[in-house]
Amino acid sequence: MAGETGRCSAPGCTEPPITVLRGSGERLCARHFTASVERRVREAVEGGGMVQDGDVLAVGLSGGKDSTVLLHILSRILRNRPVRMVAVTVDEGIAGYREETIRSARSITAALGVEHVVVSFEDFCGSTLDSLVREQPLHPCTICGVLRRRLLQAAAREAGAARLATGHCLDDEAQSALMNILNGDLRRIVRIGVPDKDAFVPRVKPLRSIPEKEVTLYGIVQGIYTPLPECPYAGEALRSDVRSLLSTLEYRHPGTMERTMEGYAGLRERVGACTQAGGVSYCPDCGEPSTGGRCRACELLSSHRKR
Amino acid sequence: MKVYFSPDRTEEVAVVSATVEEVLLMLGVNPVEVIVSRNGALIPEDTVVGGDDEIRVIRFVHGG
Repeated sequence: MAGETGRCSAPGCTEPPITVLRGSGERLCARHFTASVERRVREAVEGGGMVQDGDVLAVGLSGGKDSTVLLHILSRILRNRPVRMVAVTVDEGIAGYREETIRSARSITAALGVEHVVVSFEDFCGSTLDSLVREQPLHPCTICGVLRRRLLQAAAREAGAARLATGHCLDDEAQSALMNILNGDLRRIVRIGVPDKDAFVPRVKPLRSIPEKEVTLYGIVQGIYTPLPECPYAGEALRSDVRSLLSTLEYRHPGTMERTMEGYAGLRERVGACTQAGGVSYCPDCGEPSTGGRCRACELLSSHRKR
Repeated sequence: MKVYFSPDRTEEVAVVSATVEEVLLMLGVNPVEVIVSRNGALIPEDTVVGGDDEIRVIRFVHGG
């Protein structure tokens, strides 16, 4: 063995570190790293008012590493609070991929004793993503995103949830922010035209300040990380390039993603204050809230039915 | 020193003494996108490795 790894930075701890936090430079052992991640998520949940006593909290659970870690941490930090969690898994109908992640989702919810609901594209619209992709000119991620959001919202509402938590981490958030800017998508940047928040179960992202590397490491340390197959449709060209660019910048200039999100939040707040909030409008076909006229899910399914 | 990549790529690296970060860069891997263990134990990127160490690189960032 070529060299030792030193000691954990926590006072009095003699355990070897497993990582160096890029933000603070702390060298932490497994126990103190776990405590650090859980503390930051707890601060996000409590400081952001994401959960109130008596709430039902829906948690989007794909069965992948981020949402699995989210459910695990939430079940720990909320265990002494009167909050009912309901995990929601969407089965998009992707042969050779979804079966394994759904098994993983069932396994983690059983282990944590969390109520679990599985909803599917097939039950919702009679088609799997595999068949929709064959008949639609749209990118699979676009079709999937529209329908998945719809099903998650419907399941959260059905469960009586006050909030819908998703496993988006710092890397996901920074990538989306940069993509919105690169696409020149002002509506998304400042959320112009988003219907009244009361029309939707509000989404919360307790992992939004935790880098993906730390989310993964937490999963490994807790024994809940299982390498799963990659979605066969993965590869949204711009996100892939943005991810690579941001990772390079984060390595060369540590803190880039965190600073990006701080600036983006400030931009949203200031520019958003100068714009009018969108009123609630409802889709004439399905009655769901929309940004005006027919909702995207109905638009998408309508063109599918015409074919 | 053997460097195992998940799931099935293995590289033999002739290094007497280098940090994990240096080894990763040598192999064209961004340290932000991976987690590393040595002989089964998770280690930070500034750990010095070499000799007969067995290094496992867990890449969690995928293409899409």
